Amino acid sequence: MTEPYLAFDGVTKRFGALDVVGQPFDLTIARNDFIVFLGPSGCGKTTLMRMVGGLDTPTGGDIRLEGVPVGGPDHRRGMVFQSYSSFPWLTVAENVLFGMRYRTDLTEQQKRARRDHYLDLVGLYEFSDAYPNKVSGGMRQRVAIARTLAAGSEVLLMDEPFGALDAQRREKLQVELRGIQRRDTKTVVFVTHDVEEAVFLADRVIVFSKRPARLVADIDVTAQLGAERPLELRDSPEFFRLRNGVLKLLREAAGDDE
Amino acid sequence: MSEAPPTGIAGKSAPAPRQPSRRTSLWAFRGALTRRTQAAVGFGTSMLLLLVWEAAARAGLVNATFLPSPVAVLNAMLLMVQKQNLLWHAGVSTLRVWTAFALAAAMAVPVGILMSSYRVVGAALEPIIDFIRYLPVPALVPLSIIWFGVGESTKLYLLWLGTFFQLVLLVADDMRRVPQEYVEIAYTLGARTPQVLRDVAFRAMLPGLVDNLRITLGWCWTYLIIAEIVAADSGIGFVIWTARRYMKTPEVMAGVVVIGIIGLVTDQLLRAAHRRAFRYL
Ligand SMILES: Nc1ncnc2c1ncn2[C@@H]1O[C@H](COP(=O)(O)OP(=O)(O)OP(=O)(O)O)[C@@H](O)[C@H]1O
Ligand SMILES: [Mg+2]
Repeated sequence: MTEPYLAFDGVTKRFGALDVVGQPFDLTIARNDFIVFLGPSGCGKTTLMRMVGGLDTPTGGDIRLEGVPVGGPDHRRGMVFQSYSSFPWLTVAENVLFGMRYRTDLTEQQKRARRDHYLDLVGLYEFSDAYPNKVSGGMRQRVAIARTLAAGSEVLLMDEPFGALDAQRREKLQVELRGIQRRDTKTVVFVTHDVEEAVFLADRVIVFSKRPARLVADIDVTAQLGAERPLELRDSPEFFRLRNGVLKLLREAAGDDE
Repeated sequence: MSEAPPTGIAGKSAPAPRQPSRRTSLWAFRGALTRRTQAAVGFGTSMLLLLVWEAAARAGLVNATFLPSPVAVLNAMLLMVQKQNLLWHAGVSTLRVWTAFALAAAMAVPVGILMSSYRVVGAALEPIIDFIRYLPVPALVPLSIIWFGVGESTKLYLLWLGTFFQLVLLVADDMRRVPQEYVEIAYTLGARTPQVLRDVAFRAMLPGLVDNLRITLGWCWTYLIIAEIVAADSGIGFVIWTARRYMKTPEVMAGVVVIGIIGLVTDQLLRAAHRRAFRYL
């Protein structure tokens, strides 16, 4: 049996007396898969993702990347947060360059080339010299994505990255992100509350129960909708059906009190 | 700017929107003002105050021994510049303030940063700092004279005392307010703690820090006058106190005004530097 790319193995997490992940949590994620975590508010999605990033440590069990238990954070696993996702004192281009600041294996020239490549990829080249507070919220999230890619992250950990954006920007970024992930072959773990976003983006949607988090469903979206996700997919009956199915699961997971 | 009037959905034409006036109102609630207008308004009120004061003095509405007119104060000031080395005294005071302040800042910044970066340091120092912070500086004058005599070090010590403990807590607070996201982004990019502190946390807190330094510098002047009144033969506090002994009210006020002018100019310069350095805000 080959080692899975990313594996949660019997992971539990408590904060003091608070059981966030009670039962040991197991999940394996294949390389280049787009995984979406969906679940009621406060169930522990962020906590699970932070543990992959090395920003929190599991109370029990471990998380392994290519068989190696995850220790502290490093550039192979990059984070994109919902807010404060880029540094306001650096320009767009400087933010992307900052992604490689602590990489000693790249020359300055290579770093600049990568910066320009990823700025171009997320369509921000012409905004290189703008400060983040002068560009839209959607662009700020693209800055963060470009920075993480430029850093050389293989796993992108995204915690509601589009949560603060309006519907149109969100859709546009979803299409872009899915495209980048497919082209650049990255593994993505993405947390959201938005069922439609989850189904549109994911290869697999993982639905959690309310806290203590337990896996309720593991839905193979690609098997049902295919890997290509053009915007029109949203209007198709298959998409609609799957979306409703996931929504129902989520309602059951959240219980009656919500 | 002529557009076709919008047709209402039900066929009724919508009421014409009230034309917003092109001239921006001075009284828009929380509205913006150009820097030019702000300066003009500030200058205007100051002048108005001076005029009213001068008029009141000339009309004999106030006793000149208590409240001499602005012109009298200005005359006294010019005379003091010529005869009493007022500018030199102002320089001495400014130097004292900046020396003590630089000393306090150089110590408070690292200590404050450490206090919020490491809970143990915060827990260890907070009770002591909070205690000393509440001691009124004048109450410590006798003690500092016993310790340091009446030389230059007493004054520096008193100024340092008045600012360091306040500043430490402000710095700690600036540091605490740095979003955890920034710190975690840096860690996931492979930074180590010293690098996170230098490249991210410090940069993120810098605008707030500079602002707090500017405000604390103002407090320094308060303590300076106390220190110079108690134990000095130079500085503006000394000048004011000497003039008071002979009831030379215009000279007393001239000294006070000099402090005000120094404060105003310093503050405006620091604000301008802040705007320039932190354009991204
Ligand atoms: N550092 C911490 N210390 C104590 N409790 C914490 C900590 N981090 C998270 N929690 C708690 O753990 C629980 C799970 O939090 P988490 O942020 O993982 O939920 P979530 O699923 O991401 O929620 P949301 O959808 O609202 O973002 C919450 O009750 C939260 O209050
Ligand atoms: Mg969360």
